[in-house]
Amino acid sequence: MPSLAAFARPADCEAFREKSGPELVGTEVTSVLQLKNVHKAFSGVPALAGVDAALSENSYVSLLGPSGSGKTTLLRVIAGFDQPDGGEILFAGKRIDSIPPHERGIGFVFQNFALFPHLSVAQNIAFGLSNRAVDPVTDTKIVAAKVRDMIGLVGLSGLEDRAVTQISGGQKQRVALARTLVTEPSMVLLDEPLGALDANLRTRMRGELRTIRERCGVTFLHVTGSETEALAMGDTVLVLDRGRIAQSADAGTLYSRPASADVARFLNCYNIFPGAVSGDAFESPVGRLALGGTRLTSGKQAYAIRYDRVAIRPRDAAAAGDEVRIEASFVASEYSGAAINSFFTLDDGRVFEVETHLSHAAPEAFEEKARYALVWKREDALVFD
Amino acid sequence: MNASGIKLGLGFYTALFIVFLYGPLAILAVLSFQIGPEGGPQFPIIEWSTYWYKHLFGLTPPSRIAPLPIEQALVRSLALAVMTMIVSTVLGVTAAQAFRKKFRGSGVVFYLIVLGMMVPGVLVGLGMALVANTLGIDRHWWGTAFVLHVVYTFPFAFLVMLAIFNRFDPSVEEAAWSLGVTPARTFRKVTFPLIFPGVLSAMLFAFTLSYDEFSRTLFASGRDLTLPLAIYGTFSVEVHPNVFAFGVLTTLFSFALLGTYAVLMGLSVRRAKRVAIQEEA
Ligand SMILES: Nc1ncnc2c1ncn2[C@@H]1O[C@H](COP(=O)(O)OP(=O)(O)OP(=O)(O)O)[C@@H](O)[C@H]1O
Ligand SMILES: [Mg+2]
Repeated sequence: MPSLAAFARPADCEAFREKSGPELVGTEVTSVLQLKNVHKAFSGVPALAGVDAALSENSYVSLLGPSGSGKTTLLRVIAGFDQPDGGEILFAGKRIDSIPPHERGIGFVFQNFALFPHLSVAQNIAFGLSNRAVDPVTDTKIVAAKVRDMIGLVGLSGLEDRAVTQISGGQKQRVALARTLVTEPSMVLLDEPLGALDANLRTRMRGELRTIRERCGVTFLHVTGSETEALAMGDTVLVLDRGRIAQSADAGTLYSRPASADVARFLNCYNIFPGAVSGDAFESPVGRLALGGTRLTSGKQAYAIRYDRVAIRPRDAAAAGDEVRIEASFVASEYSGAAINSFFTLDDGRVFEVETHLSHAAPEAFEEKARYALVWKREDALVFD
Repeated sequence: MNASGIKLGLGFYTALFIVFLYGPLAILAVLSFQIGPEGGPQFPIIEWSTYWYKHLFGLTPPSRIAPLPIEQALVRSLALAVMTMIVSTVLGVTAAQAFRKKFRGSGVVFYLIVLGMMVPGVLVGLGMALVANTLGIDRHWWGTAFVLHVVYTFPFAFLVMLAIFNRFDPSVEEAAWSLGVTPARTFRKVTFPLIFPGVLSAMLFAFTLSYDEFSRTLFASGRDLTLPLAIYGTFSVEVHPNVFAFGVLTTLFSFALLGTYAVLMGLSVRRAKRVAIQEEA
C-alpha cells in the first residue's frame, strides 16, 4: 500500500476548491455547520439533550464521548437520516432540518463502511458522481478521470476492478472515504471510521485522514470514543456527555483545562478526587490537599491532577513548600512505549495513576505493596468549584 | 451400534421421503409410454411406445379417444401465471418495502395481507362467485380468477421479501443518499440489485402457486377453464395415458423454469466471486 507521501503531485486534489491554510487566530472564521439546541429522544429517553455547536470551515473536528453519549445519533441527525425533535441545524448558513439527506450535500462515512457490495472499487467511487440528482457527471471519461485521481489520493491504485467484498478492512475504509470525497461535499461526517481497524493500521490511517482532509479543504467531523484519537486528530475537539456538548476546545486547551471533572475523566489522564473546598485546602477522602493551582467553575466540585504531573519519591522524602504530598502503596507498572504508567492504591482504596516519561527519568523499580510518597506542585492541580 | 443405527434410520427415512416425493411422478412417467390407443392407464406395460405423446400433439390417426382439450387451457394458465407473478411480485416488494418502517396500523395490515393465503380456497372462490353474481360482473379467468390468484400469491411474495429486507443493511441506502442520490434512484441502483435473489424467489413462488391453483379458480374462472380445471375435467370422463404424457411434459417445463431460476440466481450471487477470480488469474 503506497503511503500518501508518495503522492506528491500537488494537483491531486485540484478538483476541490482551494482554501486557505490553517486558520489564523483572530481572523474571521465562518462556521460551516451550526447546531442550536438540538434535541432528540428515543421513546421518551433523551439521546441528545440540547446540543449547541459551531464547526468552522476547513477544519478537523473530533467528537469525543463515552459509549451511549449520543455521538452516532448526532451525526445521523446532521446527515438527515434521523429527524431531531427540536432545535435548528444550519449548514452553510441555511436551515437544513427539513431537507432530505440527498439534498444536504453532507458526506457520511459509516463505521461498517456500508460499501455497495454489488459494485467494484472503482464503481463504488464513481457511484455518487454519476447518480446524484444535482449536477450528475454523465461523461464517462470525466468520471473515470476523477475516480482515478481519487484512487491515487487514497492509495488504492491497482485495486480498481476488485470487488469490495475482496479487499481488506483498511482498503474498505479508503474506498468509503474516496466514495464520499469524490463528490466534493463541504463537510464529511465520520462515525468511528477507524474503529474496525487494528491498532497499527489505525495509527497510520490517522495521519492519512488528516493529510487527505487538508488537501481537499473540507470539514471533517470525526466521531471517536478514544481520547488519544480525538486529541491527536482534531483541530477542535467537541466533548459530548449525556447528549450535551460538555466542552469545545482545541486539543491543548482540552488537555490542560478540561471544563469539568467529567470531561477530565473522559480524557483518561487525570486522577480525580471528589470533595469540597474549605479554606485554603481541598477536603478530599485522602486528606486535605493544599490549594494554589487553577480554579475552574463547573457544576460539581472536584480536584484533578494529571498523571504526568506527579512524582514518585521514597516515603521519607519531605515535600517542598509549594508541593502537595500523599502516600500510597505501589501495585504495578505498565510500559507503553515512551512512558511508564505506575498504579498505586490510596488509603481509601482508590487507584492513583502516575505517568513517567522515560526521557525524563530512567525507569525505577518499585517494590510491590511498599509505600511511596506521591508529590505534585500545587499549581499543577485543577480545582473545580 | 447407536451411530450406525441412527444413520440407518435417517437413510431409511430419506429413502421413504424420496419414494413418496418422486414415486408418483416416476409411475406417471413409466405409464405414459404405454402402447396406444388400446393400452390403459395401468400396469402392466403391454408394449413401450411414444403413442400418447404423439396423440397429445394430434400426430396419431383419429381414434375413439378424443385429444386432450387442453391447448387453450394451457395458454390461459400460462398467461394467468405470468400476470399473477408480475402483479404479486411488484405488490410484495413494495408492501415489504413499506413495512421496513413502522407505521400506524402496520400490525393489522400485516395480518390482512397474510390472511389471503390462509383462508380456505374453496370458500374464497365461492364468495367471489357470489359477489360477482350480485354485482353483475362476468366471471373470467383474467378477471375474477386473476384477482383471487393475486390475493392468494401476494402474501407469499410479501413474506419472502420481508425476510430479505430483514437481513438487508439499510446503511448502504443511507450511504447512497448522502452522496446526493435520490431515494428512488437509490432503490433502483442499490436496493433492487441487492434484493434481486429474493425477488426471483418471490416470482417463482407466485408463478408456480398460480399455475396449479385449483380451488379458488374452480368457482371464479367462469366458462373458460384453466389447465388444472381442464385436466380435472378429463378425469371425470375416462383417464387415458395421454394425461400422463402431458404431466411428464409439464414436469419438464417446471424443471426448465427451475433451471432458469438457478442460473439467474447463480449469476447474481456469483458476480462478485467471478470478479475476484479474474483478479487472481
Ligand atoms: N434507534 C434507536 N432506538 C432507541 N434508542 C436508541 C436508538 N439509537 C440510539 N439509541 C439510544 O440513544 C443513546 C445514544 O446512542 P448513540 O448510538 O448515539 O450512542 P454513541 O455515542 O454513538 O455510542 P457508541 O460509542 O457506543 O457508538 C443510547 O442510549 C442508545 O441506547
Ligand atoms: Mg455510535
